[in-house]
Amino acid sequence: MTDNIKIVENATCTFCGCVCDDMDLHVDVEEKKIVKAKNACVLGRAWFAEHTIEDAPAAMIDGKEVSIEEAIEEAAQTLVKAKFPITYGLSDTTCEAQRQAVAISDFVKGTIDTTTSVCHGPSGLAFQGVGESTSTLGEVKNRADLVIYWGGNPAESHPRHFGRYAVTPKGMFTPGGKKDRTVVLVDVRKTKSSPVADILVRPKPGKDFEVLWALRALVKGKTLSNDIEKDTGVPLDVLKDLVERMKNCRFGVLFFGMGLTMTRGRHFNSGALLALANDLNEFTHFVAKPVRGHGNVTGADNVVSWQTGYPFGVNFSRGYPRFNPGEFTTVDTLSNGHADAALIIASDPASNFPKKAIDHLKRIPIIVLDTKSTETTKDAHVAFRTATYGINTTGTVYRMDDVAITLRPAFESPFPDDETILTGIRKRVHELMLAKHKAHGASGEAKVASPSKD
Amino acid sequence: MALILKLHTQPDVPLEADCICPDKFAQLSLQQVEQLPVFHGNRQVALGDFFHCSGDNDGHIQIEGDISKLKHIGSMMSFGSIRISGSVGVHTGAAMSGGEIIIEGDADDWLGPEMLGGRIVVKGNAGHMVGSGYRGSTVGMQGGEILVLGNVKNETGHVMRRGLIAVNGNAGDFTGVNMLAGNIFVFGEMGIRTGAGMKRGSIVSQTEPQMLPTFSYACRYRPVFLTHYLSYLVESGFSIDPDMTRGEFERWCGDSVELNRGEILFYTGK
Repeated sequence: MTDNIKIVENATCTFCGCVCDDMDLHVDVEEKKIVKAKNACVLGRAWFAEHTIEDAPAAMIDGKEVSIEEAIEEAAQTLVKAKFPITYGLSDTTCEAQRQAVAISDFVKGTIDTTTSVCHGPSGLAFQGVGESTSTLGEVKNRADLVIYWGGNPAESHPRHFGRYAVTPKGMFTPGGKKDRTVVLVDVRKTKSSPVADILVRPKPGKDFEVLWALRALVKGKTLSNDIEKDTGVPLDVLKDLVERMKNCRFGVLFFGMGLTMTRGRHFNSGALLALANDLNEFTHFVAKPVRGHGNVTGADNVVSWQTGYPFGVNFSRGYPRFNPGEFTTVDTLSNGHADAALIIASDPASNFPKKAIDHLKRIPIIVLDTKSTETTKDAHVAFRTATYGINTTGTVYRMDDVAITLRPAFESPFPDDETILTGIRKRVHELMLAKHKAHGASGEAKVASPSKD
Repeated sequence: MALILKLHTQPDVPLEADCICPDKFAQLSLQQVEQLPVFHGNRQVALGDFFHCSGDNDGHIQIEGDISKLKHIGSMMSFGSIRISGSVGVHTGAAMSGGEIIIEGDADDWLGPEMLGGRIVVKGNAGHMVGSGYRGSTVGMQGGEILVLGNVKNETGHVMRRGLIAVNGNAGDFTGVNMLAGNIFVFGEMGIRTGAGMKRGSIVSQTEPQMLPTFSYACRYRPVFLTHYLSYLVESGFSIDPDMTRGEFERWCGDSVELNRGEILFYTGK
């Protein structure tokens, strides 16, 4: 450690969806290392401390080092040649880079999808089917007196969620902090989050939908039989008590995690919870918020929605955006063998997708932008090493409650950022598509038959 | 004699062929049919690049070859017929309003979504979302009938408003979820959460489904109207226990979180 320490105040941690923006980073400028991250949680400290500049080529084609310009040219040519190119990832990069990725997908008439499709994608479907009663985390901090966590373990996945936003902070109408709140945790097992809860509800695994449906019935004044305990593992009295608390609170919030969205029933589980929040607004103010994982996955949803009208799983092959999860989501386009080129941004599908999808991914040319070497970069046709958002580059990210936050970088990286690379690819793709269009004219349309007049 | 489309080149990425529809073929010569546009991934090409076209263009189409990568066959069709010798891809018969599609093999997901009328018969299995609404849509199938002799997967009849879906085999989870009205028959086993959020409509099952806590027992009786449905389905090639036409059914009402005017009927024996 050298004496040349720079302090970056109010920096933002982009490790998880909490996007805490009160970090004080102590940066060793000469060694390009963050030596201390004040206010960071255990995950944030590791995120900042483990980030160093590795000695690696900035761009490679088939494992051989090339210039960035050559790699951009090859990436653009690959995407333009493809008949069904897919873009995937985007949740660990800035909104500015995400915007370029949408433009590329639009130009090459490809398919764009984000990691939302494998985490809170079902919630995205449920929002469309049911609607969303929503708020910012600031409102939760200042107003919520009943906080319910469903199917998540924030103590380990989002350590500062309790302390900064929802359980212990003292707010305008919750001056006593935790004393002014009732915390309910619904989970199939005891976790490190359990001690925080005033009430712990443990349904049988895979019975969340039935419990939510029973709560909805009770909120609507319907009677239920005592068989509910045999079916779901939760006694009727516990459900009735919870319903009374929910109806009589001043401001209630339901936070839900992947224990709900990624178990059997998926979007209907999320939909049942959102419908419960809607039902409760007959009696009091109640909101429901998904607890998002990646640092800017919420930004990915926002940018893709803003640009295309849909949050993920969007296809442009007919020249206009179409949304159909199950058809245009990446696991499906790969597992069904449809994709013939892939642009992967800040994600590692080769290590966490189903085997069938990975097998197909290995058969097609992949263009990868990542800050480090991954399973996906090993198989890449074109690989770019990029700077880390929030640590090396500025930009905009969205917190899990859709609040935009600007990043304050700690030190510079020798690698370009995602936005620079994607802007280069976007410009080159645009040129190539224009040239192609001019060369072919409207030959496609000329082939269209019209009904004979006789 | 029908117009015969014979696949000569297998597409390497999905082929969107919504032009394969009697309405779009109407009044065209065989040469003009071969020039109709299809989308091979993001490339607009001609139907003739993949199919040989022969026979008479009389409103009846016969497709030969493996077309499991073809999407949107018979979308928006209003008359005539399409007979498919093998399996077919997604969105077959989407929003069709008349005519008939007969699939000798299997159908992929989204069979007859948001269909308005007509008839689809699948001799093999079908995928998810049979006769359903698209994501974000509040109304699915609004008329016509879908008969599947094999099994179907999840969300059959999601938000359906009218019409008939009958499945000779098993169904997945959430059969008839959020349905507004209409009839669904399943003669095999059903998955979990049948009829969740249904407002009206009937789900008839040969076996006892797992009931949600928001469904309540109403009665046990012999529904006369079922006799007509069951004899029609037997005529259509379904193999049904003949005792069902004379047997008793339990009637359960639901879903009480919605209107509670839907019903699940299941056969209880003779």
